[in-house]
Amino acid sequence: MPAALEAEAVTVTFGGLTAVNGVSLVVEEGAIIGLIGPNGAGKTTLFNALTGHVRSAGEVTLFGQRVTRLPAYARTRLGMGRTFQVERPFEGLTVLENVLIPAFLHTPDRREAETRARAALEQVGLSDRALQPSSDLNLARRRRLELAKALALEPRVLFLDELMAGLNPPALRDMISFVRGLADSGMAIVMVEHIMQAVTELCDRVVVLAFGERIAEGTPQQVTDDPRVIEAYLGVAEDD
Amino acid sequence: MSYLRLGLVALAGLAWFLLLPDYRTLGINLLLLAGWATAWDLLGGWSGQTSLGHAAFVGLGAYTVAVTGTSWDLAPWWGALLAMALAALLALLWGKLTFRLRGSYFVLASIAVAEILRLVAINERELTGGAIGLFIFDLKEPFGLDLFDRGVEFWLALGYLILVLAIAAFVTRGRLGYQMRAVREDEPSAEAAGINPEAVKLWAFAISGGLTALGGCLYGIVLSALQPQPLFEIHLSVRIALVAIIGGRGTLFGPLIGAALITVAAELFRNVFAEANLLIYGALIVIVVLFAPSGLLGEVHRWTVRRRYARGARG
Amino acid sequence: MEGLVPLLQNVTGGLLIGGIYALIGVGLSLIFGVMRVINFAHGEFVAIGMYLAIALFVDLGLDPYVSLLIALPAGLLAGWLIQRVVLARLIDSPGDSTLLATLGLSLVIANALFLLFGAEPRSIYLPYATATVNLAGIRLPVAQLIAGGITLAVITALWLLLNRTEIGRAVRATAQNRLGAELVGVNTRRVHALVFGLGMALAMAAGVILAPLLFAIPTVGSSYTLKAFVVTVLGGLGSVPGAIGGGLLLGVVEFLGASYLSSGYRDAYGLFAFLIVLLFRPQGLFGRETKRV
Repeated sequence: MPAALEAEAVTVTFGGLTAVNGVSLVVEEGAIIGLIGPNGAGKTTLFNALTGHVRSAGEVTLFGQRVTRLPAYARTRLGMGRTFQVERPFEGLTVLENVLIPAFLHTPDRREAETRARAALEQVGLSDRALQPSSDLNLARRRRLELAKALALEPRVLFLDELMAGLNPPALRDMISFVRGLADSGMAIVMVEHIMQAVTELCDRVVVLAFGERIAEGTPQQVTDDPRVIEAYLGVAEDD
Repeated sequence: MSYLRLGLVALAGLAWFLLLPDYRTLGINLLLLAGWATAWDLLGGWSGQTSLGHAAFVGLGAYTVAVTGTSWDLAPWWGALLAMALAALLALLWGKLTFRLRGSYFVLASIAVAEILRLVAINERELTGGAIGLFIFDLKEPFGLDLFDRGVEFWLALGYLILVLAIAAFVTRGRLGYQMRAVREDEPSAEAAGINPEAVKLWAFAISGGLTALGGCLYGIVLSALQPQPLFEIHLSVRIALVAIIGGRGTLFGPLIGAALITVAAELFRNVFAEANLLIYGALIVIVVLFAPSGLLGEVHRWTVRRRYARGARG
Repeated sequence: MEGLVPLLQNVTGGLLIGGIYALIGVGLSLIFGVMRVINFAHGEFVAIGMYLAIALFVDLGLDPYVSLLIALPAGLLAGWLIQRVVLARLIDSPGDSTLLATLGLSLVIANALFLLFGAEPRSIYLPYATATVNLAGIRLPVAQLIAGGITLAVITALWLLLNRTEIGRAVRATAQNRLGAELVGVNTRRVHALVFGLGMALAMAAGVILAPLLFAIPTVGSSYTLKAFVVTVLGGLGSVPGAIGGGLLLGVVEFLGASYLSSGYRDAYGLFAFLIVLLFRPQGLFGRETKRV
């Protein structure tokens, strides 16, 4: 059975700068993979390469199908969903309309799309805000809308870009258990994260990036103990 | 809900026809402008691609009917179908080439394309009669109707507007309409939602251009004397765009309201301003841009959306 | 040598008219480069210059080249006011707001000119300017030579202003980075108003120079706006030297195309070049980086 997502030697260069250099990783169904690293390590660029928003060298396969040459919308149609680090709601549209748009991916029928959209809103707890202009939402709700938009796609692989950032402790706990629930239902999840609590509680495996390269991989515990990782973050190797 | 309003439009048209026989030509111009503006809005309002070259489609429609009618003796309804097909092709080619241009560059390119077509119409004398133009002397009569009768033309224009409104309503209420808005608001986000932005914009352009050309066919018949200048000129493109923007981009009836308002106002001011009644367009667009950027109906729409949510939240 | 004369005639003619195009384009490019505004009313500013020269000539007997001294400050002031009253409010507005505002402005101006001057073509007849000078077999109309000379003077003055004065430095800083310029103490709002005034002054100057050469009708503005766009896109939107190059190039292309291909399509050559550059080299023929619009 093919893995949900396989990336092999993914490389991204902008002009003369190599932002991501030969990174490989494998994500199985129902697994949660964390992608961490210091600022500027290339996490978001790798993210964008995997989701198709940025061109890359190497190979990316989704459930065994090569998607490397496919643009983002084509990968979405094959089961990929993502959130953006800075939320990208469709301003000028209501919350419901925002989620209606991705819901149309699987059906051309307006009524059926609306049913799916409302289900996604229900999942994230925004049902009561369906008719609100999306530009009026506060941060936490904008975050949930972003998530609802991705969920309405019914993705099999979900990419979360710093979903936990800026959330207060209760919201953070809710979001963590929510993501756990998604993975339990079979969704493969790749998450870029800085919030260590989320990483340790959620991730089955963690991949560490520094200067565009994969420098470590393992369980959250293994990775936080790894001296190379500590050095990448702090710039100094810890001597025992 | 909007079928009710479409019915109102039809009734208003009927009323105009019956009550104001002296103003039938004005009415025809109003109806055509409203149809063109509504078609324009599919691309300019719903999809967010402002075109200032839509007169190209008007001219294409008029000249196709005229040329096929006089040279090949083709009935105008077949000519119109051909015109719409050509318009869609033009839109696809034009869009494929220029959609990659950001914002204002796309606008500039649209002006250039329409200008080039105007120059072609002036220079290709064999085909189009050059600057002197073409005359449509007689046309086949559908069901015995004389197409040069103002009354018949009025009904055709009214039918045209209702057709455009109906198609616009159908498109915008369905999947394509939502995809158009997503592409307008945020392309990367739309892509992440599985939408191919270029395909959506091309569809919008083709439908918009085809419908505009259909109105152009009728316009050609109404004029019966075609010349490149008034049919392809940038002032026509600008009028079409401004009417839609003033009335309200991205709303179904905004362009119609804009067309009605401006046509009537320009007519009223004709005594004062004579040929310079386009001054109204200029003044209105500046006012709209400064104080009501979503256009008349657009601002109303935004207000009702807020109120609808507020009422729902309280209740 | 015989065969070269017509070619040189065309090239020189093209360069002379191209100089005026450059003058128009420089103003537009400057406005875009500093303010990121596509000024749809630019051609109408040229038209204002033409009619101003005509009115001063007819009513006061002023030689247009003297009217230039009135047109420049008048344009500066008018442009400043327009920017302050209308455009400044739209600085943070979405999408095509400024484009539409300047479009509306162009309609108001064109129609106002119609109301004031009527539809008949107007011009200035300068007896000394219709003479031609013969240089190595090439005939050069005096009016065009004067136009070329003035264009050169004005552009040199502009260059000096932008590169040798404090104000010029403030303008260049604002063009590069509005926020950065604010941070080092530049009053960018004033810079914007100044630049728009400069653009209008340059356009009006071009109009004054054109008055003895062409007929003015109220709708002449839109064709010059289009020409200005072609020039600035060819040269790279935002680049002043690019606009100069673009203007000269357009003039020569028009003359050569009209002579050797088809004169009916004279205006189309520039448009084709415009589209090709937009599609394949949007930073312009002489520009370096892609400017985001």
